[in-house]
Amino acid sequence: MNNEKNKTGLTELEDGQTGIIVSVLGGKTLTKRLADLGITSGTEVKVIRRTLFSGPVQVEVAGSRLVLGNGLASKIVVETK
Amino acid sequence: MTDEKKINIVLAGQGNSGKSVVFNYLTGLHQHIGNWAGKTIEKREGTLYYKGYTIDVLDLPGIYSLTTYSVEEVISREYIIHHHPDFVINIIDSTNLERNLIFTLQLLELECPVILALNMIDLAKKKGITIDFKKLQGIINAPVIPAVASHGSGLTRIIDKVIDLRGEKADHSIHRYGKEIESCIKQLSELLKGIDLPYPVRWIAIKLLEKDNDITTLVGEKRAGILDKVKQLSENLEEIHGHDSSVVIADERSHLASQITREIIKITPDRKLSLNERLDAITTQKFTGYLVMVLILGGMFLSVFSFGNWLSGLFDSIFKEWQGWWSINVGTAFIASLCWAAIESVLALVQIAFPYILPFYIILYLLEDWGYIARISFLMDKLMHKMGIHGKGCISFIIGFGCNVPGCLSCRIMESKRERFITAVLVTLVPCSAVSVIIFGLVGKYVGLLWALGLYLFAVAVIFIAGKISSKLLLGEPVELIMPMPDYKTPHLKTIVYQTWDALKEFIFIAAPIVVVSGVVIQAINLAGWMPAISTFLSPVTVTWLGLPAITGILLIFGILRKELILVMLAAFLGTTNFSDALTSQQMITLAVVSMFYIPCVATISVLWKEYGWKKAMAICVLEILFAILLAGIAKRLLDLVF
Repeated sequence: MNNEKNKTGLTELEDGQTGIIVSVLGGKTLTKRLADLGITSGTEVKVIRRTLFSGPVQVEVAGSRLVLGNGLASKIVVETK
Repeated sequence: MTDEKKINIVLAGQGNSGKSVVFNYLTGLHQHIGNWAGKTIEKREGTLYYKGYTIDVLDLPGIYSLTTYSVEEVISREYIIHHHPDFVINIIDSTNLERNLIFTLQLLELECPVILALNMIDLAKKKGITIDFKKLQGIINAPVIPAVASHGSGLTRIIDKVIDLRGEKADHSIHRYGKEIESCIKQLSELLKGIDLPYPVRWIAIKLLEKDNDITTLVGEKRAGILDKVKQLSENLEEIHGHDSSVVIADERSHLASQITREIIKITPDRKLSLNERLDAITTQKFTGYLVMVLILGGMFLSVFSFGNWLSGLFDSIFKEWQGWWSINVGTAFIASLCWAAIESVLALVQIAFPYILPFYIILYLLEDWGYIARISFLMDKLMHKMGIHGKGCISFIIGFGCNVPGCLSCRIMESKRERFITAVLVTLVPCSAVSVIIFGLVGKYVGLLWALGLYLFAVAVIFIAGKISSKLLLGEPVELIMPMPDYKTPHLKTIVYQTWDALKEFIFIAAPIVVVSGVVIQAINLAGWMPAISTFLSPVTVTWLGLPAITGILLIFGILRKELILVMLAAFLGTTNFSDALTSQQMITLAVVSMFYIPCVATISVLWKEYGWKKAMAICVLEILFAILLAGIAKRLLDLVF
């Protein structure tokens, strides 16, 4: 069980949890825009915290802090151990 | 190279990189702020005189990438390509090196002479980040200079470098992608050889694979055949990588940036939580975050309004004296009165600008420079989404409570046209400081404070519903929030002063012409004696439908100039400020409701006109007039049941 990898949306991670980005489920404009901010598959991403009522998610990726809208964050598929 | 002693440089970088601090430091008072041709985006130019050289500095808009997403990005790359600046100074936020380097790589692809300024190197050090800038210099073969723009350190070294290297041909090493991509680039470059376009061939090839619309069209016009090859190559790439070719390239670029970063930085993590971390936690956590926000914003409004009311009162008594002087020494004849109307309009602007807008901007820019504004967007994003816009729109609303004019101007921070427009429309419904004067001076004073606060809640509800409706009506996908979360840093006074000054100047320049003209026109109508006719003409609405005295027709006309005139003129007509003598409670509330929504004031209309064209500006006015009349009429009927 330990080695089994789980794929979930970024929004499913707990605050403080880290995951590796597997893919971005979105059009190419969005995917590119995110890539320009360092959000690409294979990159590590850490959820810092979110707001009440499934609001936006604050993440740390590529050494920077970013805020992503909830709908957007749910399209980022991550892998956790 | 016509003039040996003339150099032009441009500043390019991502948002929050401290670009404007560098710009202000270099150019000081020799600045010129205009607009990019046909765009509502600011163009900031300035001149630096240094060691006998005249150095023209252009501040490109802050951007995240040079691929065409937004107007700012296109402006930047087109400027660099067509104007051949001697140097592009890439300002980098050293605390976010990796993300900033992605942009640097794109700049290098444009094959322009680049100098890297590693700004905020002191903050990076504080975070335990050491950057081997010599190594970076070796990797990209371009000068890399550490700097702390807020103290001005490192900036003269950059300019010295500019002077040193002037005229030399830059030979930066441009990064290579994976071998599949490189093979595509090579094949396309062969085909593109000698094409009559001002861009570097390798760059065109990359953009074609990235499916950049503008470049694809341009190449299609010259050599349509190449596009078939592009299609074939990108399909190939997509097969190998399983992603769209544009994404494959962006992905690789991002990985390259991360690879370079790993080679040049060392991070010694601080074991104890930094002050920034702790502040961030308090100001963004689920409960404390909202509490702090309410306290900060509440404190801001309270201090601005109490200062504003004091200063505005002071101005009032001074201007009254001037008016007295004018009527004695110049007279009250038709022309003299019209001239006074013009002067009065300007004074009225001053009376809004200095007591309210100035302190408002100072606090706002202070909060922004400190890093707090982004936290508000984060906290409010969810709620804003229900109105079809994202968290940044909240900032425009906050500004709108002070004055709708800068509120509407600030909508420029929204990414898409659709959101910009929705936000602007909603801002016009936000009760500004002038409307607050009416709400408190009429309803708060004579009906009750709770009723006044109730009107604010009512306004928020109206804005919320209007947002819901307009986001449904205006087609298009809502844009999701993507925003860097800046670290908290000590606010930089000079930057705040510059920003405040620019914003204040813009307010006066945009608002002044239309405010003066309409002030004179309305005064002329008044002097011609047409006002009673107008109030009779409007009486079916004012008297029959809204149950107000006929004179309110005139008040509402004057209110278009400045909303608080409704109250001022009412006092003048009644000959007393004891409004309860003339109006019943429900009439006061009805009048307040009409005043809140019936039309944006002329200054706001002129911004809407400038930003969205006269058709949309007029449409907003007509809609809001009808809406306010309908709403206030219903309110009146409900209030009749209560009182």
